[in-house]
Amino acid sequence: MTTMLSTTGLTVTFGVNKAVDDLDLVVEAGQLVGLIGPNGAGKTTTVDAISGFVPCRGEVDFLGTSMTSLSATARARAGLGRTWQSSELFDDLTVLENLQVAAEKISTKGFLRDLVNPRNDDVEALEKILASVDLLAAKNQLPTELSHGQRKLVGVARALAASPAVLCMDEPAAGLDSTESLELGGRIRSLVDGGLSVLLIDHDMGLVLTVCDVIYVLDFGRLIAKGTPEEIRSSPAVIEAYLGGGSDA
Amino acid sequence: MSRYLQRWTTPRGIAAQVAILLGVALAIVILISANQTQALVLGLGAGALIAALALSITLNYQGSGVVNFSVGAMAMYASYIYFGLRTDGKLFLPPIPNPLALIEGVVHLFGAPGFRLPAFPAFISVSNGGSTSYSYGAAIKTAAMSAPEAMVIALAECAVLGLLFHLLIFRPLRKAPVLAKVVASIGLFILLQEIVVLRFGSDAQTVSPILPQHPVSLPRGIHIPSDQLFLTAIVILVTFLLWGIFKYTRYGIATRAAAENEKGSLILGFSPDFLAGVNWVGSTVLVGLFGILIGPINQSIDPYTVTLLVIPALAAALLARFTSFSVTVIAGLGIGMASSWIQYITNQSWFPKVGGAALPGLSDALPFVIIIVVLMLRGKSLPTRGSIETIKLPFAPKAKRALPSTALFTIVAAVLLFVVTPDWRLAIVNATVGAVICLSLVVLTGYVGQISLMQMALAGMSGFTLSKVADAYHIPFPIGPLLGAVVAVGVGLLAGIPALRVRGVNLAVATFAAAMTIQSVVLGNPAWSGTNGASVAPPSMFGVTFGPNQPWSKIFGGGKGLLPNPWFGVFCLVVLALLILGVVNIRRSRTGRQMLAVRANERAAAAAGVSVSGTKILAFAISAFIAGIGGALSGYRFGSVTADYFGAVPSMLFLAFAYLGGISSVSGAVVGGMLVAGGISTMILTSWLHVSDQYTLLIAGTGLILMAIFNPQGVAGGIRELSHSLQARRHAKRGEQPEVELQEVSS
Ligand SMILES: Nc1ncnc2c1ncn2[C@@H]1O[C@H](COP(=O)(O)OP(=O)(O)OP(=O)(O)O)[C@@H](O)[C@H]1O
Ligand SMILES: [Mg+2]
Repeated sequence: MTTMLSTTGLTVTFGVNKAVDDLDLVVEAGQLVGLIGPNGAGKTTTVDAISGFVPCRGEVDFLGTSMTSLSATARARAGLGRTWQSSELFDDLTVLENLQVAAEKISTKGFLRDLVNPRNDDVEALEKILASVDLLAAKNQLPTELSHGQRKLVGVARALAASPAVLCMDEPAAGLDSTESLELGGRIRSLVDGGLSVLLIDHDMGLVLTVCDVIYVLDFGRLIAKGTPEEIRSSPAVIEAYLGGGSDA
Repeated sequence: MSRYLQRWTTPRGIAAQVAILLGVALAIVILISANQTQALVLGLGAGALIAALALSITLNYQGSGVVNFSVGAMAMYASYIYFGLRTDGKLFLPPIPNPLALIEGVVHLFGAPGFRLPAFPAFISVSNGGSTSYSYGAAIKTAAMSAPEAMVIALAECAVLGLLFHLLIFRPLRKAPVLAKVVASIGLFILLQEIVVLRFGSDAQTVSPILPQHPVSLPRGIHIPSDQLFLTAIVILVTFLLWGIFKYTRYGIATRAAAENEKGSLILGFSPDFLAGVNWVGSTVLVGLFGILIGPINQSIDPYTVTLLVIPALAAALLARFTSFSVTVIAGLGIGMASSWIQYITNQSWFPKVGGAALPGLSDALPFVIIIVVLMLRGKSLPTRGSIETIKLPFAPKAKRALPSTALFTIVAAVLLFVVTPDWRLAIVNATVGAVICLSLVVLTGYVGQISLMQMALAGMSGFTLSKVADAYHIPFPIGPLLGAVVAVGVGLLAGIPALRVRGVNLAVATFAAAMTIQSVVLGNPAWSGTNGASVAPPSMFGVTFGPNQPWSKIFGGGKGLLPNPWFGVFCLVVLALLILGVVNIRRSRTGRQMLAVRANERAAAAAGVSVSGTKILAFAISAFIAGIGGALSGYRFGSVTADYFGAVPSMLFLAFAYLGGISSVSGAVVGGMLVAGGISTMILTSWLHVSDQYTLLIAGTGLILMAIFNPQGVAGGIRELSHSLQARRHAKRGEQPEVELQEVSS
């Protein structure tokens, strides 16, 4: 198995608060890795650090090369995709255009050609992605006209449009009901079976425990457990963190 | 301890240390020379005024989230209220929008030119005017009102005005997008300035002393007039007062809480509205006081000087992050003193000269430099989580059937050029050139969300290049304006660098300061631009000259037609049409999508692989290029490039007009062009409605404010929405679902 994404000693501090503390995390090729933890555990901050949105200490390696000195844009272009906890769609663009932004590469020649004759390449591929999340009918709508669940799916579709090698998904199931959430889990699973490696984040254990291969559990920025779903289910540290933390899981 | 070490060994920390060391070294050098210390000290008065303006900006920002570009205008306005009372005992009134004027216009339209309705009064006499006596042959006017009386009345009016600004303008805009607030404060700026120009003219007026003016001796033979010391003392006192209020009273704490979020103040028992109102009243009285007191120090008042001090004041407020009063005041005083010192230095014999004279405007460049350095050091290339400040902009539609509609529009306008009277022809030309400048803002502000208040200055740089390089070295026509546009791109990129780390209204401030710098260092530099501006030769190609003043033959009637030459108008229209098609294609292509993605959400755009800084740089370049072409066109149109036409204030106005037209669409740029001064709207006002053209800017200012409040989508957006809702209604009547196909909405 090849290692797609790994962090070593990843640490993020906000003032005196260590949001992520010395985290080692590995995503192997074709793996679905879960990252869970109660509210404020540092999950989003971990993804921010991996994808270059927050300065951090430690190493982030992607496909064997260090990402530490690269900008967020460069990491995305290298194939390290992410979604956002609150969708963060481009509200002024249609659903299809949202995907186009992620799929298209810009070049000077392309820019000059577009000035004279703008073209839309590869729309079929993007429509296929939209169809896979049942959003083809909404392709010409604005994100603001969609339901919360649909918006989340557009966020996922947009990340997929860039054809990433690894996708970090920040709570894609938040706000979905349990059947929708399981359906989403199935979709993510089939993506992984199709060759994508995924880091799936959730603060609710339900989804993660059903679909993931390996699970990491964070609490107050520290890794408190790591293992298969069975191991996590029976880990005393996890039970303590979730019950003691008074979280809703 | 190690945290401090860490902070000071980063590249930024090292840069800051170097800057501090250089600053200290410079200060020592200055303080060793008595002359330079003298120059520094003489900047205290202006510094106090800048500090007061900056304090007011901070108060307004804390109270209602508005960065008020009109504080300088307010101070200037107050000085005229005082001036009117003190010299003539008259309180001047703004020209109240008189509905009767329209009736008059309509009556005139139907041919009764003598018809006049009673006008509103311009002044109210508060006391009988002072008597005039003669001594040694000179007229000496005794003051009509004592200084304290005049001061009290003037400040009371300031308080009322502050309350009105809050109630009528900024309260309705409380939840409005940043750009709407910027435009409203630009509108207020123009309005206040125009009212004063209408009532008192634009010449400077001498004012009598208020504070005692005897020179105070300091050590080493340095002198300072006592009124400057008083002014400084007052501003420091005010700062202490504000500091105390904001630190210890419930009111101040609530304001600070409200600035963070609205619920905060409610918990303390104050409504945010009330707090904003009090802050408006307080800040307006504060700038009023200083506007009045600075008059005698400057020896005269005029509608422009103090008004433009808003730029250094914004720099000071920005330096203090719109929060700390003490930093604001120190920065304000510092900028005032540094400006005075720079002026002294540039006048020294050893200082490099341009054309035998001191390089002007370096002191105007100071705030720009400060703003850039501070913002660049402080800013982040991507916003941090939770600080996403989107400037909500109107929807940017894809134009449908752009080619045929642009062609049709161009042909109709071109035909009109030949059939209308010369003044309408000129208006069409002005509107066309204006539309080009507005188009430059569609790309930059409309598509990428970067607020720029320097487009006319960039246009001016292009016109200046056309004059000084292309014409001087006989570079033929199409290359000359293109060269100008390229220079505009260079300057635009340089001034746009802060955009890589700065967003929203801070960028507006930075570009405004850039415009002021370009205006006073280049365009207003007599050594480079002459006293009447840099002259521009008419364009000609293949031996055909088509400048606006080129004689032309009528096509059907034969013989000579009246000027301006309509063929010049056709030329401008063709240029506009080409640029429009280019911008339409940008919106339709990947470039446009990436721009809109950056405008909507920089972080998400970066995560989608979009280079946020690359997109911004590209937008600045395209926009500066278009503005540069517009500058060349207006250079041809006027035959010269002047600082008045291409300065900071016109740049500011153009953002407002583009916004008014509809900043996110190409059709909005065309509407914006029609609205600019001298464009179609001016013609409608002056020749149809018989509004004297001195009122056009006044009406424009009022229009800006009203538009920002009632129709933030702009005229084009408003029309689009209207047609959209009509369409929906039609569908509803037929019992169909309205189609929400956004591409189908034509722009
Ligand atoms: N920009 C920031 N500045 C300061 N503190 C921050 C910032 N971003 C996050 N934090 C803090 O870092 C900690 C981790 O936050 P993070 O959002 O990563 O948690 P999370 O696990 O994603 O939680 P949730 O389940 O609520 O999404 C929290 O204590 C949060 O307050
Ligand atoms: Mg989170």
